[in-house]
Amino acid sequence: MNKLRFYAFHLMPYPYFPPAEEIESSWVSLSNKYYDPHRGRVLYNEYIDQLVAAEKFGYDGVGVNEHHANFYGTMPSPNIIAAMLVQRTTQIPIGVIGNAIPLHGNPLRVAEEIAMLDVISGGRIISGFVRGIGCEYFNNPVAPADSTERFAEAHDLIIRAWTDEGPFTWQGDHFYVPNVNIIPKCIQQPHPPIWIPGQGSLETLQFIARHRYTYMMVFSPLWFTKMAFDGLREECARLGYEADKNMFNACVPTYVAETDAQAHREAKAHLSWVFNTGLKIPDQFFFPPGYMSNKSFRNFMTQLQKGKVKPQAQLSYDELLKDRYIIVGSPETVKNQLGEYVEAVGAGGMIGAGSPFGPMPNWMVMKNMQLYAEEVIPEFREADGLPDYQRTAPNSPRSHAALAAQRGSPPEAARSRVTGGMELVDHRLSHVAEVIDPTMAGGGSGREASAG
Amino acid sequence: MSFIPAFEHTDVPRPARYYTEPAFEDVLGLPMAYRRDGSGEATVLLHGAGFTRMWIPFYAMLAERLDFIAPEAPGFGETPLPSWLRSFDDLTILHDQLFEQLGLEKIHLIGFSMGGWAASEFAAFYPRRLKSLTLITPVGLRLEDEPGVDIFQLSPPDLMDRLFKDKTVMQEWLPDPENFDEGVHLYAEFSAAARLMWAPRYNLALERRLKRLTCPALVIGAEEDRLVPNAMSDKFAEVLPGGRLVRIPGTGHEPLLERPRELADHIIEFITEVAQ
Repeated sequence: MNKLRFYAFHLMPYPYFPPAEEIESSWVSLSNKYYDPHRGRVLYNEYIDQLVAAEKFGYDGVGVNEHHANFYGTMPSPNIIAAMLVQRTTQIPIGVIGNAIPLHGNPLRVAEEIAMLDVISGGRIISGFVRGIGCEYFNNPVAPADSTERFAEAHDLIIRAWTDEGPFTWQGDHFYVPNVNIIPKCIQQPHPPIWIPGQGSLETLQFIARHRYTYMMVFSPLWFTKMAFDGLREECARLGYEADKNMFNACVPTYVAETDAQAHREAKAHLSWVFNTGLKIPDQFFFPPGYMSNKSFRNFMTQLQKGKVKPQAQLSYDELLKDRYIIVGSPETVKNQLGEYVEAVGAGGMIGAGSPFGPMPNWMVMKNMQLYAEEVIPEFREADGLPDYQRTAPNSPRSHAALAAQRGSPPEAARSRVTGGMELVDHRLSHVAEVIDPTMAGGGSGREASAG
Repeated sequence: MSFIPAFEHTDVPRPARYYTEPAFEDVLGLPMAYRRDGSGEATVLLHGAGFTRMWIPFYAMLAERLDFIAPEAPGFGETPLPSWLRSFDDLTILHDQLFEQLGLEKIHLIGFSMGGWAASEFAAFYPRRLKSLTLITPVGLRLEDEPGVDIFQLSPPDLMDRLFKDKTVMQEWLPDPENFDEGVHLYAEFSAAARLMWAPRYNLALERRLKRLTCPALVIGAEEDRLVPNAMSDKFAEVLPGGRLVRIPGTGHEPLLERPRELADHIIEFITEVAQ
């Protein structure tokens, strides 16, 4: 197994709007008048190309996520992007990390879409679940006070829909479904791996530990990621098991170039943009009333007051580097800092490693990814340089021949009575005249209709 | 009888000015805080989303002439928030029960802002319990062409600015940014308001249901309300059978704090008239 897994992650920002100093926020209130769909077309397609390229560069996976009504991440439906990635890649795992499950009227829609993606991709989907950040509640008809409860119930419903045989009835506090019976089912059984992105709240850590899910930290300083990871390890130990390192993914935008100075020159403006412009969010959008419990709100405000955390929009580039929100440098520097980081927090995966960020031009993204793949990733790989997923058999046969060899004929062949006929006819043979009507068999021994 | 399970009870900070100790009434297991003073016609005021825990001068003026009762809604002031509270229906049931237990058979009901919505809901369900209904810069109806600003999208300074037309009065009521506990408490009160009003910000059924009202109704609007469009009080006056509208000069959304004397005079005159 490799020392570390690398996931190319995309937020798919739309950067053509006035500078941070001139806007209240890049979320909620920034008008969509700044969105030019013709530029959007070019961006989306470049962004998809970048994630597709991650497969041939040799990353361990790609990731997309859901956000609404903002310019920082323009994927209100991440499953649509994932569907395109499924079609344009062949082996690489694809993470939807995640779907904001409390926001939608019927969580089964997410269960169905992820199952579709999992089937079509041959079992390559990683399914993440999030509450959505506070901002999303201004454009979805769900009260932020219901967010935590709806998340928990939507999660339970989706998992049961994937694992229990249907049909069954769901009678929840927030959702009622008379007949849960999702078709298709997932290839990965009992269900695709579940990743939970989070900000380290105790409730989230306990939830992950209980279900043995994979944790994904959102943008954070190293000390905070470490605190959250230690907390999760403790919760797992409390439940009597030792957490596997692959349960821990850190999220650290990383940029590599020929020299340290060159790397900073190239990355500084774009990585700063992610925090200072893309995440320029006033408090009233970030914590709509009820989004946080009174207790969490008090804890958070206490930390803010003590200066232990700082709003991301106010972080300088030097602070971002110093606190290891980001890693930037020559291949040597990046390898060393990544090594130290992973050692310090105990992570199995890095999200956003060598990934596109902010308004970075396409050529620079590709340069970073190629250099990253050639100069950084091998350091953390076995001698063969393969991602772990290439060392195991695919989750589903990749061809008709392999399917036939491994799974034989379907247990229930498609059969029906052809109009006027008495016998059930196997559709594989229904076009063969002597099968439909044995009297038509010209002397020879006509093959009987069979159930296969 | 109790249908209220455990709720989060936290220490509630006490405002420096006008704080008075409330009485508590156990309503279906929920300790509902209320303040009561004076004698005369039983008059209940349902508060807006803020400025709780205080016996403000306006209340004292009403209590000089009326038996004046100001309960605090769940999640506001010193009344804790039960986890299940999600709608004005829940609140209406609590109010009915509270009034019953306080021996308030028929009342004059006043509702301010969010409390105007709560009072309208109560009036729609229990019209025969009311002697009169007074709504002060209320919310709760749909203004199709003028949704107004979203209170939940305003920064605290913007909210204060929009609440008051009279900026001198506003200065007196600005929250102390250094008061950490008060800040946390205000987030909790806003969370309670969001339970009731997040989506949608109106109840379409009210327009129909309020037609049941048979008691006299008074709507008190602002001179210039920059939080809730003036058209809202116009519409309430139209919807309420026999509804009368007055506007108080010099006021924004907060007549209780901006022009307490004029407001109290209007209300006392109206209630006295109805009572005779």
